[in-house]
Amino acid sequence: MGELHDRLVRCFSSVFPTLTETEICGTDLQFLGNMDSLAGVTLIALINEEFGVDIDVEELLGLGTFEAIREHLREEKIL
Amino acid sequence: MSAMKLSEALQILNQPLPNTASPRDVFLACGFTPLHLKTFLAAYLRKGLPTSSIKIETGLYGDLAGNLERLQPSPGVAVCAVIEWTDLDQRLGIRSLGSWRSMDISDIVESAYRQSERLTHLLQQLAEKAPTYVCTPTLPLPPIFISSGSQVHRQECELREIAASLASRLSSCHSIRLISGQRLDELSPLGRRFDPKSEITSGFPYGLEHASRLAELMAALIRNAPPKKGIVTDLDDTLWAGLLGEIGSDRVSWAVSGTAHLHGLYQRFLESLASAGVLLAIASKNDLKLAEEALAREDMLLSREKIFPLEINWGPKSASVHRILEQWNIASEDVVFIDDSPMEIAEVQSSFPEMECIVFPKVDHVALWELLKQLRDQFGKTTVSAEDDIRLHSIRSSKAFKDSMLAPELSADNFLRGADATISFSLKPNAQDHRALELINKTNQFNLNGRRLSESEWVSSVQAPNAFVLTATYEDKYSPLGKIAVAVGKTVDSKIYVDSWVMSCRAFSRRIEHQCIKFLYKKLNVDEIVFDYEPTARNEPIRNFFLELLGETPKQRFSLQKASFNAIVPALFHRVVDLGNHLSAVSPTE
Repeated sequence: MGELHDRLVRCFSSVFPTLTETEICGTDLQFLGNMDSLAGVTLIALINEEFGVDIDVEELLGLGTFEAIREHLREEKIL
Repeated sequence: MSAMKLSEALQILNQPLPNTASPRDVFLACGFTPLHLKTFLAAYLRKGLPTSSIKIETGLYGDLAGNLERLQPSPGVAVCAVIEWTDLDQRLGIRSLGSWRSMDISDIVESAYRQSERLTHLLQQLAEKAPTYVCTPTLPLPPIFISSGSQVHRQECELREIAASLASRLSSCHSIRLISGQRLDELSPLGRRFDPKSEITSGFPYGLEHASRLAELMAALIRNAPPKKGIVTDLDDTLWAGLLGEIGSDRVSWAVSGTAHLHGLYQRFLESLASAGVLLAIASKNDLKLAEEALAREDMLLSREKIFPLEINWGPKSASVHRILEQWNIASEDVVFIDDSPMEIAEVQSSFPEMECIVFPKVDHVALWELLKQLRDQFGKTTVSAEDDIRLHSIRSSKAFKDSMLAPELSADNFLRGADATISFSLKPNAQDHRALELINKTNQFNLNGRRLSESEWVSSVQAPNAFVLTATYEDKYSPLGKIAVAVGKTVDSKIYVDSWVMSCRAFSRRIEHQCIKFLYKKLNVDEIVFDYEPTARNEPIRNFFLELLGETPKQRFSLQKASFNAIVPALFHRVVDLGNHLSAVSPTE
């Protein structure tokens, strides 16, 4: 699936260590727990740390899915 | 080394814990949302204490003083307080929209002063109940002063003075340790510490790198790794510039000229370490007489009497180092070897893989500066104890003691009878007894089970119901040895349970261990002692002692009856001083 995909999966896995890759890729963010609190802020910080891209909580929730976040990062010219 | 990343921290925390993990509780008190600081702190603690289950609790947002006030630390908890400017006055942050008008700044300063007084008082009170670790403000002040950023304003100086005074007062309290602002400055550039977006959106003011670095230093304070004990140094082109055998004792140099100055700095630093109880020895391939001449020069910055032993010969350095370790009776991992020759370094390193071996940077000023900092980190301690002052003297006298003991005309009994020894026992639990904790955490050989105690565990052991802490201080006609033995345990149903028992290797062969047991039986009026013994790779001396008492080597926890002990205990010749509850009573025994 490519390096960007793998790096983003690692970010998600760090916050949700019990989820499999399939679950991460196929689940809507709102079902991943308290995305508006600690997990969301941590995921945003990890994405920022990993890709240097700044996303807001609202933006993250607006993107909604793993795939949409991956596409957003691709548009931000993250390889 | 680069700062730990958040992803690494989470990876560490997501690793399963060993089944045997012991709990390690921390209360992180701060006025901001602890968020990633909490994650990093847990990760650094887990990394440094892999067999501990780290649990960090936090307080309410925006109320550092209230969090400290409400805290009733449970036994074993460590308290970390991270103070930022907003904890001194909310207007020193960007979340509150209080006035920054020039006429209001003096009120901010005044309120910051009052709040610093309150925090000082609260932290000093807390420190009486739990080990307390503090970080004073690390973030840049907001641009609230009327002067331009390139000019410091008087009110900014006043705020910094308040923070400095807070740090100064807290650092003078024995149970409080502060993060070094200078070290944090080195690791975390001021301009990258503050994250205004994170502060406004999440209430977490730190950039990730700063949070990581601050947590790293806080974890190091909590972990409190025991310092190394000794340095073995070379002479030529290390302690001084020049080769003794070629230019003579009067021409080797450490003067303020060129690179010889580096050797002067090194000498001055070693003298400083020695004054804090660090052992110094020399291993050099040289002529002994010439070396003694040079070491005796009046302009030497390192006193000759601070160095023991001298191993100056033409044999392999590793053999010299081996003899030095024997004299000091300490493990190679507690020693640093410094030599300008990479070949000698490699030769010693191959014989002592656990020893830190460092090439002396004889022409590299920056590398020397880094070496001095590195050595301070490895040998750093909070206080210099009475034992630090007498350690070298007692090691020298220990050699005289052993030499005398080997005299063929003397039996052990006759020798010990003539040693004129006094042991002072105290059974008063004292959580502030740093020497006792130090002994428990650095003694390997005469050690009941090898267990180390964190400061929190020490405080809770000492404060537990029915707890006792036996400390023994020894001196004889050869020298005082200081406080050399500690036993920690509890009395339950007319039995003593000894959880930790250590004795300095300098005190071997004096029957102090026998006297400790005898004193416990008598003073606590019991007939049975249960020793929580566990064999370790290095506690052979205590194993042999128990073998002598029991007639067999114990494999685990065992109990010893008073009658059995009395039947086998050899003659004891010490004068025993009971310091119990500060009441001295001298009772010569036998």
